[in-house]
Amino acid sequence: MAEPTYTPEFATDAFEPLHIHERKHGTTRPSLSYWQDAWLRLRDNKRALISLYLVVGLLLFTLFGPLFWNVSPSVQDLDQVSKPPWASREAVIVAPYTLWHGETTTPSGSGLRTATPPNTQAVRLLWDPVPGATGGYRIYRNVFPINAQQAYGLPLGEQFDPNATYFEDRLDLKARDYYYTLVPLDDNGIELADATTLEVTVRNAITVQGALERGLVDADSNVEVGGRVTLKFHPLGTDYLGRDMLARLMHGARVSLFIGMVAPLLYVLLGVIYGAAAGFLGGRADALLMRFADFVVALPFLLFMILFKIMFGIGPGESGIMPMLIAMVILSWPATSRLVRGQILQIREEGYINASRLLGANTTYLIMRHMIPNTMGVILVTITFAVPTAIFTEAFLSFIGMGVAPPTPSWGSMCNEGIKTMLTTPHELIFPAMFISLTVLAFNLLGDGLRDALDARIRNIE
Amino acid sequence: MRQTPLQNPAASSEDSFIRTAGRQLLLYTLMAVVAIGGLMFLLDALAGLVGSESGNTAAVEVERNMITISLRDEPPQLDSGQRADQISGMVLGHIMEGLLIRDAESNLVGGVAQRWEVNERDATFWLRKNARWSDGEPVTAHDFVFAWRKAADPAQASEYAFVMYYLKNGEAVAAGELPLEALGVRAIDDHTLYVELERPTAFFDKLVAFQTYYPIREDFFHSTNGRYSAGAKELLYNGRFKLTNWVHGSSLLMEKNEHYWNKDDVKLDAIKVGYITRDGHSRFNFFKDNKIAYARLEAEQLYSAMENHFQIRRYQDGSLFFLEFNHREDRPTSSWHLRRAMQLVTDSGELVNKVTKLPGYLPGRSLFPVYLRGVNSTFREEFPAPEPELDPQQALLHIQQAKAELGVEEIPPLTLLIGDTPIAKSQAEYFQEVYQQKLGLDIKIDAQIFKQRLDKMGKADFDIVMAGWGPDYDDALTFGDLFASWNLNNHGRWAHEEYDAMVAIAQNSIVPEERMAAFARMQQLIYDEVVILPHYERGNSYVTHPQLKGMVRRAVGSDPDLRYAYIEAE
Repeated sequence: MAEPTYTPEFATDAFEPLHIHERKHGTTRPSLSYWQDAWLRLRDNKRALISLYLVVGLLLFTLFGPLFWNVSPSVQDLDQVSKPPWASREAVIVAPYTLWHGETTTPSGSGLRTATPPNTQAVRLLWDPVPGATGGYRIYRNVFPINAQQAYGLPLGEQFDPNATYFEDRLDLKARDYYYTLVPLDDNGIELADATTLEVTVRNAITVQGALERGLVDADSNVEVGGRVTLKFHPLGTDYLGRDMLARLMHGARVSLFIGMVAPLLYVLLGVIYGAAAGFLGGRADALLMRFADFVVALPFLLFMILFKIMFGIGPGESGIMPMLIAMVILSWPATSRLVRGQILQIREEGYINASRLLGANTTYLIMRHMIPNTMGVILVTITFAVPTAIFTEAFLSFIGMGVAPPTPSWGSMCNEGIKTMLTTPHELIFPAMFISLTVLAFNLLGDGLRDALDARIRNIE
Repeated sequence: MRQTPLQNPAASSEDSFIRTAGRQLLLYTLMAVVAIGGLMFLLDALAGLVGSESGNTAAVEVERNMITISLRDEPPQLDSGQRADQISGMVLGHIMEGLLIRDAESNLVGGVAQRWEVNERDATFWLRKNARWSDGEPVTAHDFVFAWRKAADPAQASEYAFVMYYLKNGEAVAAGELPLEALGVRAIDDHTLYVELERPTAFFDKLVAFQTYYPIREDFFHSTNGRYSAGAKELLYNGRFKLTNWVHGSSLLMEKNEHYWNKDDVKLDAIKVGYITRDGHSRFNFFKDNKIAYARLEAEQLYSAMENHFQIRRYQDGSLFFLEFNHREDRPTSSWHLRRAMQLVTDSGELVNKVTKLPGYLPGRSLFPVYLRGVNSTFREEFPAPEPELDPQQALLHIQQAKAELGVEEIPPLTLLIGDTPIAKSQAEYFQEVYQQKLGLDIKIDAQIFKQRLDKMGKADFDIVMAGWGPDYDDALTFGDLFASWNLNNHGRWAHEEYDAMVAIAQNSIVPEERMAAFARMQQLIYDEVVILPHYERGNSYVTHPQLKGMVRRAVGSDPDLRYAYIEAE
């Protein structure tokens, strides 16, 4: 068997040096900065994006809303107290109110009856003397039909004179049905059994003077009693003093968002500086600084809030916003500082820092170029999560009466006022509560999205 | 993924290890839960031993013959010589008893006094021999002498020292010009009290039912080392009930006083003040949850009360609410024009119907409420209050004059001192806007808790205060002398010679016509000089537990009055 021969063959050109060749074509992606990349990924996050729009919308609502809805938040419209947005605004013009002592022009009817058409200015009742009613009469009003329990509702008043068979009701009348009950009394003021009930449908009314004052009719046009007008429009209804809810919400948002934006910015800034210093210095200084931070964590917020209020000499009628802001800044920074310190401690030991240092970078450069940008994600996320907390704190403090002074509205104080009438006029609570919830939710979701978008490690995995 | 049986011996040993560890963990968790649960019960039992009242009580406890109620505030002052407020008055009315008391029908009957005799210039009270303090000692005439002298003592500076002015030398003693012993009251013996009057007093018998005239025992008072009335143990009781437990700011327990002279007439064994809250909403919820036996209703609860088909009751509580101005010279409110301007835009009818929204409130028109007696019928029927005027244009002219009078470009911001109840706040906000809108006045609202508000009123730290006044005795003078220049409750320090003269007539005369004419003049002066702006005469709506009977509501005296209350069996 012949031995196979092996002759390696080399092409001569294999020994020639390579040309430096340019890449002719190919696909590259454009170089993306950290921020561009973060924005791209935030944009893909639908929840975060909607939240962002919501936040921007809220800011616009607060800053430019009053330009379009130029209504004072403290003007009271007592003809429309606690009116929900869906209530009818049709009203009849009536003559100015005059005292009434049972005089009537209408021919006498029988039984319990109204003397004039019942409207929200007054309901005037007349009745025939009841035999046996020696002690007079008591008049009740109910919004529910009288049932077997014989609960007649509100005791409006008494006529102790058995011959005075009239009663006028002006108490907080709304355009709705009422059930008036007349109960005769005996000599000792004990209620007798034969009560009569009358169902009355009350209509909206406004006096001539009231209509003129509110500009519902022109001064020169003929204002006729009995004519119809449409009462002032309140898109979100009115509160317990007839103030416009929308205007109050806009003005209240100023307080809420001011605290919500400014306080976190300030205390996060303080926390970043403090935490960075502690982390960078390390050693004993770090231990000392962080123990002080622990000490601040232990201080009770509410107590300090009250102390600040006293220290600042916040007198009657002055807003407690500044002490609130200062208390929040002074007491809330440790959380951020701990977070930043942790990050700095970690980054300080990274290889690229050492490399940079070997190349002669000084401290300022290290902090500005490497450390702060690398903690930026954490800081931003902290801010977005701090905003809803701050808004909530403001709302809470205003709710318990430590915040703004009347008549300045804030969402928290509006909730406080609205909660009293939660059952009868829920819109007074629902709107401010909804605004607080939406804002807090929007900022939380935005913070969530930002955390994902700004996390550099997720970027590497993709 | 499907579970496959493990065959690997190493794996199975690891598995059993995990299982053992898991079991152990579970065991520890269970032990921890049991231990914590046990600790909770132990602590609860310990707390029960420490506190006298364990847990919650129902509104009406038939077996324990006890009811639970709530108070608006902690009673600020249970020293009968010092107290000046209604809440302390309500508690004191149950635990103390004066010479004369009001029965369930509001008639004046003997309390500690068995019989009495009031003449033009003196009065004698014969005390019951069986009236006793809660430590079993008899109530003697000396106890009254001590208490009355204490109330007049300038060192005590009681706000109610002026009610002692009816006694001989009362005013001079209160001013420190005469020794305490000169006060016109002395004990003839242990059971006979003799009173000399400064001037004929038409209503002295009604007056001694008032709380400043309650007795205090001297030896007990001194044994407390200045802490008299600071706690349940620092008080001695001679009323139907005694305070057996007082946890400041949280609860009070009043139990039947076994030493009370008429103890068989006391039907309840105990009244517990289980809750102290100003919040009407929580009060109503307590009532709905059957935790308290009665609850006052605020505007917000009326709907819910109707919806629940509660029987709503109403009564006129007798008190008048008003804006009181600070008349001291350094205050802008010392300007009559400013006050008159505010008067011309204050519509008490609108306030009552649109802002307070509570049934039974009468728009305030006068210093004297409608129920006060006149000569033949009621005072207000005989002397109608001045017709209120509303004239914003005229008011603006007065504002101009006020600025000139005060020598200022703008009226400085006015501080409106109010209580911290929601109803006071909404009224304050209403007036803030009315005065801002119609007069351009800047009103600063100063909301303070009850004690603090009284304190600030005493120190004159206000321009305007939302004040109220309840009658102390059943006579128009209880309102009339409020603005006498010497009255310490005249917090605005308004002083007017003619008014003082009218008060003097009302105090000295026993001719009804003369007195009523004086009151009518006072009514007009208060209106003309705009000393106050009456807001309303309060009417309260309330709901009671269906089993609670015999609760008395009154305009004069301690209210609500549960001394005669009883529980009706179902």
